[in-house]
Amino acid sequence: MDLTYLLLAVVMVFALIATYLAIVERNLVRAVVYSAVQSIAFTLALYLFRAPDIALVYLPITVGIYPAAILFLIKKTEEVEQP
Amino acid sequence: MVTTIIAVAIPIFVVAYVLYFIRVLRGPTIPDRVLAVDALSFDLVVFLIVLSILFRSPILPAVAIVLALWTYALDIFIAKYLERKEMGE
Amino acid sequence: MYDYILITIGGFLLVVGALCDLIAAIGMNRFPNFFVRLHAATVGTIGGAFYPLIGAALIAFGSEFLGNYRWFVGGASIVAAFLVLILAPAGSHALARAAHKSKTAIVHPKVVDHLEEDGGVK
Repeated sequence: MDLTYLLLAVVMVFALIATYLAIVERNLVRAVVYSAVQSIAFTLALYLFRAPDIALVYLPITVGIYPAAILFLIKKTEEVEQP
Repeated sequence: MVTTIIAVAIPIFVVAYVLYFIRVLRGPTIPDRVLAVDALSFDLVVFLIVLSILFRSPILPAVAIVLALWTYALDIFIAKYLERKEMGE
Repeated sequence: MYDYILITIGGFLLVVGALCDLIAAIGMNRFPNFFVRLHAATVGTIGGAFYPLIGAALIAFGSEFLGNYRWFVGGASIVAAFLVLILAPAGSHALARAAHKSKTAIVHPKVVDHLEEDGGVK
């Protein structure tokens, strides 16, 4: 059981770094990639919580549909966020 | 027997994920980062299935299969965005 | 007897695949530009994901403590291995095409770029 908590700690560190970088990033496409990394880390965390149903729902939204929508928006607006 | 094999494999995978994550952080161009994320999550599929053997539950590998599929979709979205063609307009 | 053979073969594949994945990750960090890193990514996805998945399937088939669940986990692992085998090269190929066409990935240590000479990606 302690293996689960150890892996959970590692995964949450990945998610924290990816989230922080996604927020401070100016280039929006990179922010989308960081948010994809963060959501993959959260999917693994949900997997470690033994909740495959929630992970099955969380994964398509945050790795599939959300980046597609945001990229569609970035295509319409500008890519690098002015200060 | 099985647990020793898996106990040997898990640290190697975690070190590989850290190195991939370094490439995600360092990658100069956008395709570099997406390629690292793509390789990272295809290796995460292995990690999920190896863990589901360790955790003895049959329903958990479903997440791994869906992760492989949606990683491919992420690649295609970024590729379509980079090519500046229609994004489904 | 069969279980022992299956587990050893699966374990061998799993560990070799994990080492291959580690080598691919190191290669991903050391290669000069995007198009050389495609090779590291392919080594990482096929050598580092397909072989361990087949190894995990063999381990699942051989592991007695899973009882009936071993067929589920082994089957899912083989399906995932088949999917990774198809999706990984297709995804990285689409990415490489987009990267070259949109010129975001520069070919830095450039000897020759035949694709550019042929007028680029149509």
